[in-house]
Amino acid sequence: MKTLLTAAAMALGLAQPLFAADYPAGPVTVVVPYSPSGNTDVFMRHLAPYLEKAWGQPVLIDNRPGGGSMVGTAQVAQARPDGQTLLVTTSAYVTAPAIQPDLPFDPREDLIPVANVGHVSYILVTNATSDFDTLDEFVAASKESPKFAATAGLGTTTHFAIEKFIADSGADVDVVHFKGGGPAVVSILSGETDIYGSSVSSAGENLTSGKIKALAVLGSARIDAQPDVPSTAELGYPDLEIKQWVGMFVPAGTDPAIVEKLNADVNAALRNEEFIAKVTPLDWTLNATTPEGFAEQVDSELDMWKALAESQGLSQ
Amino acid sequence: MEFLANIGLGFSVALSLTNIFYCFLGAFLGTLVGVIPGLGVLAAISMLFPLTFHLEPTTALIMLAGIWYGTTYGGSTASILLNLPGTPANAVTCLDGYPMARQGRGGVALFMTTVASFFGASFGIVLLTLFTPVIADYALRFGSAEYFALMLMGLVAASTISEGSAVKGLSMVVLGIIIGLVGMDSQSATVRFSFGVMGLLEGVSLIALAMGVFGVAEIIMSVRRVRTADIDPETLRLKAIKPSRDEMRRSWFPMLRGASIGSFFGTLPGTGPSIAAFLSYAIEKRVSRTPERFGNGAIEGIMGPESANNAADQTAFIPTLSLGVPGSATMALMLGVLMIHGVAPGPNLISSQPELFWGLIMSFWVGNLILLLLNIPLIGVWVRMLTIPYHILYPAVLMFICIGAYTSGFTVLNVWMVLVFGALGYAMRIFGFPGAPLLLGFVLGPLMEEHFRRAMVLSRGEFLTFFERPISAVIMALTGMILIWSVWSAEIIRRRRAARAAGDGATTHEAREG
Repeated sequence: MKTLLTAAAMALGLAQPLFAADYPAGPVTVVVPYSPSGNTDVFMRHLAPYLEKAWGQPVLIDNRPGGGSMVGTAQVAQARPDGQTLLVTTSAYVTAPAIQPDLPFDPREDLIPVANVGHVSYILVTNATSDFDTLDEFVAASKESPKFAATAGLGTTTHFAIEKFIADSGADVDVVHFKGGGPAVVSILSGETDIYGSSVSSAGENLTSGKIKALAVLGSARIDAQPDVPSTAELGYPDLEIKQWVGMFVPAGTDPAIVEKLNADVNAALRNEEFIAKVTPLDWTLNATTPEGFAEQVDSELDMWKALAESQGLSQ
Repeated sequence: MEFLANIGLGFSVALSLTNIFYCFLGAFLGTLVGVIPGLGVLAAISMLFPLTFHLEPTTALIMLAGIWYGTTYGGSTASILLNLPGTPANAVTCLDGYPMARQGRGGVALFMTTVASFFGASFGIVLLTLFTPVIADYALRFGSAEYFALMLMGLVAASTISEGSAVKGLSMVVLGIIIGLVGMDSQSATVRFSFGVMGLLEGVSLIALAMGVFGVAEIIMSVRRVRTADIDPETLRLKAIKPSRDEMRRSWFPMLRGASIGSFFGTLPGTGPSIAAFLSYAIEKRVSRTPERFGNGAIEGIMGPESANNAADQTAFIPTLSLGVPGSATMALMLGVLMIHGVAPGPNLISSQPELFWGLIMSFWVGNLILLLLNIPLIGVWVRMLTIPYHILYPAVLMFICIGAYTSGFTVLNVWMVLVFGALGYAMRIFGFPGAPLLLGFVLGPLMEEHFRRAMVLSRGEFLTFFERPISAVIMALTGMILIWSVWSAEIIRRRRAARAAGDGATTHEAREG
């Protein structure tokens, strides 16, 4: 509430009247709430030069890691709503609030979604020596002897993805949290856990070398990187449309015209051939969204994860 | 002959002019950063990381790796001459290196640690080259139960390092664990001891803690003592750096043991060079026939740890390059460099990017040779840096500490934490509480908890899992033995002291037992 008031006060009293045509008036700071060299940071560093070219202003990337991305997010929620401070974060924006009730900002009120820039798909993988080859066999095997699922950390998208799968399939699976995707993949390699919803990039090398096998791609369609792996929708789970996305946000109170301009400029940069060539090897699927469309997505995912966290007993 | 072809390929990459230049640059910057206390390797790599965006991935890694192992070489200089660890991995070198410097043998200590560093690193590189695939498979057998057992062993071993009162050492381990509890717990997202501060959700910064307790506290102590540079330039001339025959003889086995310990702990995530150095020191003191010399300038006390931390620096690349699992924050940055260039780390890295893998490893030889050649003639230069008047050096170091703390998390909160831990460290010094167990408790505590709870989930709540899994059971048994051994030897010392107090006649007899 306090943040809301502050934001409102700033919007009314302090912000200079700005016109989208003049935007941006100075250097633009993009807050990335993750460490340098993480997936999100790398993506943003590739994108920044194209935005600089479009705006004729320097784009500064400000890494503010901490609190599972919530530290940097909270900071932008309290920034001046003049479009000079942007947030580029992941779907942790919608998953973290489901298990962290005491966030110092309201994800629906304090920030405005601008654009969903891209996503990474998840594939369910298991050790190559596991005695199940399909998702159905896994669910059946789990009912005979309970299985373990690895996650890249509590409250991460990999965690929610597997919880959603458990809820939808009725498999008997205990969830074990690891710190990051690397250790989670190793736990699959060592056979310590049985299933993990991995991004293609973190599983890729082990998949091609045959040390781990893929059971399904989470979502409605197969992916180009693993064309032989069935999608969960094909296998009879229509509601597992779960992606790790990256999106841009601005503080609440930002002029709608600036939001529109940001959305248009970002979408234009995402269509740049040179940029596409740089990020496709990193397994990104690029999106083109409107601010309204992205806002709806954020809204419905906030609801979905909140409900899942409650039904699976994850929230405190 | 494929092996030789790989080595050849590696050298052809590592010996290109560009790569030699960046290797030299990395090693030189690393040494510089290592010599300056407070400015750690993580801070240095974080700051220089963006510079490598424009380099080839192999070249970028070669340079960053040079900084990484260069700091450990340089770090011993400040430990020995100022009693101020250049990096946490060199903390234990203070215990005997500084007394050596006070005795006018600083030159010998600097020369010998360079030799030990080179020996440890060479040992590590050979292992890295020969056993990367083997060790990768073997690391896969380490599950959460094994990691927990191993860390328990680390803490038990560490509590025997602490100088003076065992109670004080143990209390510092516990305090370290408590500080380590701050933040969000990884298995249930419960926030502990954060007092509503968002920045504390991720926990207390290791860098802030280490810089505060070891760096700031030392500076306050030194300012209070108003000590002028007591480095006698005479002891650092080329003639004076030659070790005696006896010192050479004593150094051989500690170096070998240190290199073995370091190589082993380097491969395990979460342990790394600092812990390897601490353990090596503890073991040297244990196996020594004259443990009372430790802390008073025993050459074994610098050779073992310096060999161990450099070996660990090299073998830390084994899990990073073979499995894509970084064992430390620094290794995570190295992985980041790979990923930013679109190279996916994993078991296939060696076959899919042989020129990167072998080039990087062979560059370690180049880098270590550069460091050996750089350090011995340049000992005088590094030392002169440390004879800068303290009213200039200390504020500069404090500034570097603040920069380092800030860049480690890009938050001002870390700078405040340095201040708090500096005050804590100063108080600890005054009351004679050791800093090393605090640091170790802080690092190992949260990891132990994480692995313990994960092991509990995986065993479905069965405590016996730690004794049923063979590797874990062996480590647990070793831990028990260390515990019994340390209690027993403390008892021996106590008896010996009692005997000594009773009469002088008993001393010669008792000495044989120790």
